[in-house]
Amino acid sequence: MAFDLPLPHVLRKSRWKVKIRDKETREPPHVTVIRGTRAWRINLRTRRFMDPQPDPSEVPSEIIDLIMEQDTWQRLCDEWDGMYPNNPLSGEDENEE
Amino acid sequence: MAVKAAAKPRHDQVFLLDRAKKRSSRFASLRPQVVSTITELRNSVAYATRDSLWVSYASDLTEALVRNASLATPSLGFGLFIHPLDMKTIPALGSFFRRIAFTIDGGFIPAEELAEVLESDNRPDLFIGGSVSHVTETITFWRGNVMPLTVPFSAFEKSGDGTRPDFNELSVIDCGQTVQLGDYEAAVDAILYEYDPEYRRRITKQRLREDQSFGASLRRLRKQRGLRREDFEPDLSAKTLARIEQGKVKRIHNKTFNALAKRLSVEPEDIETF
Repeated sequence: MAFDLPLPHVLRKSRWKVKIRDKETREPPHVTVIRGTRAWRINLRTRRFMDPQPDPSEVPSEIIDLIMEQDTWQRLCDEWDGMYPNNPLSGEDENEE
Repeated sequence: MAVKAAAKPRHDQVFLLDRAKKRSSRFASLRPQVVSTITELRNSVAYATRDSLWVSYASDLTEALVRNASLATPSLGFGLFIHPLDMKTIPALGSFFRRIAFTIDGGFIPAEELAEVLESDNRPDLFIGGSVSHVTETITFWRGNVMPLTVPFSAFEKSGDGTRPDFNELSVIDCGQTVQLGDYEAAVDAILYEYDPEYRRRITKQRLREDQSFGASLRRLRKQRGLRREDFEPDLSAKTLARIEQGKVKRIHNKTFNALAKRLSVEPEDIETF
């Protein structure tokens, strides 16, 4: 089941959404911030925006702070791992040798 | 807004066939010619070009359009028919328009989102509606550029948590960015990546160009040197090199770093600058 992070009313009213959607098996673990026709992806391994466009600075700091908050972050990671057991957060190699 | 005979619309004119004023106002950003009478329709047909976009919410106006289009220019442009459509009208519409989009069950996104998609630069990569065929087990989506994309049910594999798509509950949400099938929500870009080779090539090229990671820099430098991954053996296996380039290796040993730099003829610290 897709995960839709509950957001404060003011952000919802401004049409912001934070989701982990289905069918993203080929992508690194990430959460998608959506507003209108645009979307920003944040990598759940690196905590960084995955794409230079759209400009990450357009995402309100309230959303970034909420996503990065420890409990929320852990919940997002757990949701990803539940939806994508074949591509979990822990799937990264520690060392190649 | 009625069509005035004296004012020739722009070549990329949007004609909105609709009598609901509140809904029409949601298309304001597209500056459409709102057509609500047969007289306005006749004027609009006369001014349409092959780049015009017609959006119809009124079946009687669509039928009148077909009746009046016979004297029109060779193409009326693009037609988007939001209302339920009589199957027998489709061939006629197909002959007057360069491309048409329609659903038998009227499955398009809400008016305000549709307007936003149609105005967006990335509209070809957004869905505006779709129809499910249980007979063929496919879904045909319409993209913002009025192009269809048909994908099989098997495209929507069961989620890792066991959620299965419900093909009786199709809707396109998030301004054309997500396909909802009950509790299952598929990212549209993931669908395009799998079923549109042109999209896949474009997005892959773009991501490789934009990727600032060490792995991407290493790959760009290797390509620039004209080397294959196998050319790094026996110091480094092709499989390991692939994993480094894909960012799947968290820590790289100094010995590996040095082997890479030596083969690429750069200083180790310079690799990430490419």
